[in-house]
Amino acid sequence: MLDTLKATTLPSTEVTGLPTPMLSAHDVCVSYSGKQALFDVSLDIPQNEVTALIGPSGCGKSTFLRCINRMNDVIDGCVTSGTILMDGRNILEPSEDVVQLRQKVGMVFQKPNPFPKSIFENIAYGPRIHGLANDKTELDGIVEVSLERAGLWKEVKDRLNQPGTGLSGGQQQRLCIARAIAVSPDVVLMDEPCSALDPIATARIEELIDELREKFTIVIVTHSMQQAARVSTQTAFFHMGYVVEVGATEKIFTNPEDPRTNGYITGRFG
Amino acid sequence: MTDTGQTPGARLGLKNRTTSDENVRQRYRKERRFKLLGQLALGSAIGMLVFLLVTIVGNGYSGFFQHEIALKVHLDPARLKLGDKRDAESLARTSYGNVIKDALRSEFPDVKGRTDRRALSKLVSKDADTAVRDAVLANPEIIGTTQTIWVKATDDVDTFLKGHMSAVEQWSPDVAAKLSLEGDRVRITAAGSAFRDLQPADGSSYLVSINGGVVKLIDVAGGVAKGEVLVAPRDTATTPAGAWHISAYATPESDRRLNDKAIAWIAKLQAEDRVENRFNVSFFQTGASTAPESAGIWSAVVGSFLTLVVTLAISFPIGVLAALYLEEFAPKNRWTDVIEVNINNLAAVPSIIFGLLGLAVFLTLFGLPRSAPVVGGMVLALMTLPTIIIASRAALKAVPPSIRQAALGMGASRLQTVTHHVLPLAMPGILTGTIIGMAQALGETAPLLMIGMVAFIVDIPGGFTDSATVLPVQIYLWADSPERAFLAKTSAAIMVLLAFLILMNALAVLLRKRFERRW
Repeated sequence: MLDTLKATTLPSTEVTGLPTPMLSAHDVCVSYSGKQALFDVSLDIPQNEVTALIGPSGCGKSTFLRCINRMNDVIDGCVTSGTILMDGRNILEPSEDVVQLRQKVGMVFQKPNPFPKSIFENIAYGPRIHGLANDKTELDGIVEVSLERAGLWKEVKDRLNQPGTGLSGGQQQRLCIARAIAVSPDVVLMDEPCSALDPIATARIEELIDELREKFTIVIVTHSMQQAARVSTQTAFFHMGYVVEVGATEKIFTNPEDPRTNGYITGRFG
Repeated sequence: MTDTGQTPGARLGLKNRTTSDENVRQRYRKERRFKLLGQLALGSAIGMLVFLLVTIVGNGYSGFFQHEIALKVHLDPARLKLGDKRDAESLARTSYGNVIKDALRSEFPDVKGRTDRRALSKLVSKDADTAVRDAVLANPEIIGTTQTIWVKATDDVDTFLKGHMSAVEQWSPDVAAKLSLEGDRVRITAAGSAFRDLQPADGSSYLVSINGGVVKLIDVAGGVAKGEVLVAPRDTATTPAGAWHISAYATPESDRRLNDKAIAWIAKLQAEDRVENRFNVSFFQTGASTAPESAGIWSAVVGSFLTLVVTLAISFPIGVLAALYLEEFAPKNRWTDVIEVNINNLAAVPSIIFGLLGLAVFLTLFGLPRSAPVVGGMVLALMTLPTIIIASRAALKAVPPSIRQAALGMGASRLQTVTHHVLPLAMPGILTGTIIGMAQALGETAPLLMIGMVAFIVDIPGGFTDSATVLPVQIYLWADSPERAFLAKTSAAIMVLLAFLILMNALAVLLRKRFERRW
């Protein structure tokens, strides 16, 4: 069964010409209380690349993103079908453990949402609940490395015991990124991570995304086409719950095949 | 578009600029009026609260005090029926009533006749026995000697001394008085208008304290007054100005619980500085009593405490867990809706219904002890549950969903999300709701009447199954008592209850301030 599924996903990789997929979605359908939001979405997420999901509001890009770490599970009346393969396992299978899945697939939300605890506790929480650190020194190390990777270490190293909520919006969002990568996930999902930030903080986050792709596979939902063009290597255009077009970012923004994609990126709707 | 020379507003039928100025003024007037009404409402609410507090404190503060009389008690071993025994048990067992009676009689040797003697022994409380016993037990050496022991006055004496029995006017004439005996009558001669043309026949009583004695005036004619001796004066020497005084009691003797003789006895003791209004410590140490001077609040306080412990132990965990399940785990469907509506309805059920339920189920069906804090606590827990559930759900709802998402996104399980993040953030709100529910339970009377906590409890309850009463029920019982002294006790008990309520609410505010986190 798994072999056949793997086999079916292989050709699409060849089509996009990108490296091996980290995640491979196949015929994913999602409906909220009977109202279908995603229709047969098939999409490969290449490893160590940045995939941008773009599209007008309500097109299902966030819904798809939330399928990848099963965050839709907590929404009452949400039904998901199809398969998303990761390491040869269908993560949409109900028997799949969401806690383990979410350790492998971290998430950064639209609005910075640090826990109302100290900066240290914010980062240490994930490693602690997943038992990643054996002692305090290891935990300190994880916190430092995570903050370093999120480019926040220099700014906060002297005030690790101060509340994370006391940081500026951009710093808070980088704290959330540091928190997400503290558990060493394979994939980091970002749901419009810059929409609540000013341009300078946004630029800082975009730089960070660029650095993080070396270690992590990143899927980012964004409303800003410029941002998608700047940070991503692969772009998927969603419209009315369908994936209209997937391809290398350069191609999508310069030579889209579908007229709807063209209409969206040129600003005729959306 | 046709240009008719009109302003756009006029074309739409609106009034011109000047009326719109009028509109602005009208708007400001309306706002001023609204503000004034609000201030009036607030002012009247504060006024009523102040009135309530002033009334209660005014009535009640005297309830914390009690007049005591210094008795010179001769601890005669024969009258104590002790013989040669001096061991603690004999000392504790014997009655000290005789020596107290002797002390009073030796104080007023003129008192003859059964009625008068009984009235005399009723000057001091039945508690005097305990006071003398405590003194003896503390130091058995004093047996055989005469000791000055402070004992409580009865409620009638106390009420009289607090001025609640009769209006009293007292003055010291600035002229000398001459005393002369005429049989069992006495004649007092004083120059000027010392007697102010008193009319002893008008129903009021006029007592003259002179030369260590007390004379009740019968007839006054100018500077000469005739009277009856209530307490014999030391001698008939002429008394200088200012050394004697006249007291007028407006309430007729027949309408008072203390007759003129008793008042005269008190006046003599007072003249010797042997009556004092002291802080009533035993009010905070004892339980109910038929004698107001011996009645205390402590058994009710302990009963309330035990009851609230049971209430808290039952309603807090159940309430918080129910709220957590409904808010965080239960699927949102018709059943949870039905449950939610019913919890809200439960909060509106009259509390006496819970008392009936407690009577029918806890007492009759389960056979639990009557009048016990454990049953009272269970009944109040039923009543408090909806309050705690509703407050806890509101507190849980107020935790931003982004915190839950953050925790779930980090790979925390639902239970971890709730226990690590949601519950700590909701705790201040939950605790506030719980304390307010507890304060409500503390002030509840009706359901406890149904399960027999309206009992007359003299002993301090020692456990959850002992018979007990609670503060509001004690207040209700005292308010129902005919003795005048219980009026002050009632207000004093209300003050104690209010103090506890204010304490609990302050705790709620403190907890909220202390644990409030910003996000």
